[in-house]
Amino acid sequence: MFKTQVMEINMGPQHPSTHGVLRLKLGLDGENVKSCYPIIGYLHRGVEKICENKAFFQGQVWTDRMDYCSAVSNNLGWAEALEKLFGIRVPRRARYLRTMLNELNRLNSHLVWLGTHAMDIGALSVFLYTWRDREKILDVFEAFCGSRLTTTAMRIGGLQEDVPEGFEKMVRDAFESVRIGIQEYETLLSENRIWLKRTVGIAKLSADDCLAYGVTGPILRAAGVAYDIRKAHPYAAYDEMKFEIPTRTEADTYARYLVRLEEMRQSIHIVEQCLEGLPEGPVMAKIPKTLKSEVGEVYHPTEAPKGEIGFYVVSEKGGVNPYRFHIRTPGFLNVQAIPLMLQDALVADVVTAVGTLDVVLGEIDR
Amino acid sequence: MSYVYDPKSAPNRKIEMPRTAPVPGLAAYAADMKATAAAEEAKWQKLCADYETAKAKAESEGKEPPKPPVRAASKSDAYEMQWPVPKESQDQDLRRLRELLGGHVEESFEQAGEIVCQVKKEAILDALTHCHQDAALRYEMLSDMTATHYPAGLGFAFSVVYHLTSVRRCKRLRLRILIPEKFEPESATQIYPAANWPEREVYDMLGIRFKKHPDMTRILCPEDWEGYPLRKEYPVVGLGQREINYREDRSGILQRKAMEAAGHFEINAKPLKAE
Repeated sequence: MFKTQVMEINMGPQHPSTHGVLRLKLGLDGENVKSCYPIIGYLHRGVEKICENKAFFQGQVWTDRMDYCSAVSNNLGWAEALEKLFGIRVPRRARYLRTMLNELNRLNSHLVWLGTHAMDIGALSVFLYTWRDREKILDVFEAFCGSRLTTTAMRIGGLQEDVPEGFEKMVRDAFESVRIGIQEYETLLSENRIWLKRTVGIAKLSADDCLAYGVTGPILRAAGVAYDIRKAHPYAAYDEMKFEIPTRTEADTYARYLVRLEEMRQSIHIVEQCLEGLPEGPVMAKIPKTLKSEVGEVYHPTEAPKGEIGFYVVSEKGGVNPYRFHIRTPGFLNVQAIPLMLQDALVADVVTAVGTLDVVLGEIDR
Repeated sequence: MSYVYDPKSAPNRKIEMPRTAPVPGLAAYAADMKATAAAEEAKWQKLCADYETAKAKAESEGKEPPKPPVRAASKSDAYEMQWPVPKESQDQDLRRLRELLGGHVEESFEQAGEIVCQVKKEAILDALTHCHQDAALRYEMLSDMTATHYPAGLGFAFSVVYHLTSVRRCKRLRLRILIPEKFEPESATQIYPAANWPEREVYDMLGIRFKKHPDMTRILCPEDWEGYPLRKEYPVVGLGQREINYREDRSGILQRKAMEAAGHFEINAKPLKAE
């Protein structure tokens, strides 16, 4: 008498918890998710094509607009890829400052993630607190390069300018409130019954699946694989820094939350090391004004807050712009694994799965 | 959908002629070095010849002889940069791959600290299988795969690269194949499921189809998009398919007329004249 059938529902592209324009085609049997098919491309701007037709140094502004929550990481990956291509030796002070900015940016990105993720799950107050702390870090960026989100902080060969006066005090002040903040989030969430119910054992992705699907970053580390490009292929000044790679073995949303919180503490630790051991010297290498390339190709991976971001650049002889410019963004491969995370899941877990991946569609669609 | 660029369909688009670039590698580097050395030698010979004539002229006129030419010092010394030169690699992974694949390896070298192995286009699946499963290699993860268009390449049109990562050994390897137009390489999804979306992206952007791929559809562009944007002959501003001069067409009548005339959504945006 009664007929049941799998209902197809589109979640997105305008759903608020998809953090942009991600569209998930869900097959639902009541509350249970039977199938999931992610569809992307609503924010495609052709960054690769544009960068191929601009001079080498002009590509940076486009990397800002990919992952707009962590522009500095994108800038750093871009700059280092081109430095590797041209064989430019960056001064030590510039490498230290880059490391510092990158870690501040990781803090910023994780704070945004925590706020929005908690808000999706239902803890609205965390959002307000993380925004309060993030503001201080954005002020530091503003003092350094004049803008808060689209920083354009790097240059090929180093940095455009040294840090302003009083920079160290500013960073330390920001850390004071962030440190207290992290404690507050832990108090609010770590033992919160609702938070535990919504995250423990939800959206699991095993280490084997992570490796098979190219999933990197905190998701891989929460599955028990201690892989961090900062340690595996050190760049900037990470070979001179002491820090730990936080890992968990549960491979669920709660483990990722703990890994990211610990990463935030490690970031503070790294920035403090940078401040203490900041060497004197120039911040820009001596390079010609116009870079002319030879025939070559590089792929440079760096650890962005969301995972591995890699820049693949092919150059031609006498070229002033890249012949081929490809960006491997962490989100692009991470989102691919959403259907795996949603096996035997409920509709409410879809929001958790999307939130825990920390998707930013600007970098996925490029 | 086959794509042939027709200048008539977008008359106001300026098309840059496709550039050529040799595929990075030892052969390209050797050819380049040879050409550069020959050019420098020719320049030097000309300088010497000029000096000889000038000297003879000065002697005949009884003036002071000119200064002899000096070989110019390399300019790059002034800068803190040095182009990473591709060189033969003694890397054990490359040696192992050469052992396993034998004659299928076309070129293997090292540049800027990255090891590259170029294999024959038919052997890419073998190479990926070995990289994934061989006990000495064990590249667990496919980090990235992409392709490059070489419109004026000899015997090939695209280079497809696979960036493999060994998480355990903290190592990276680039596999590369060169394929002609309309050649369909085997899909890497059979070994690395991660290749699913990157291969779709390559299809979307460059028009390379992969054999045995589970879902060979466009991913970033809309399904009805024409052409492959990352090919070199594709203009940066687009083909003008969706371009409408809104300033002159506020009511939308011109747009509808043009659509009706064309019979589809490709509106060729000729500068519209106010009537």
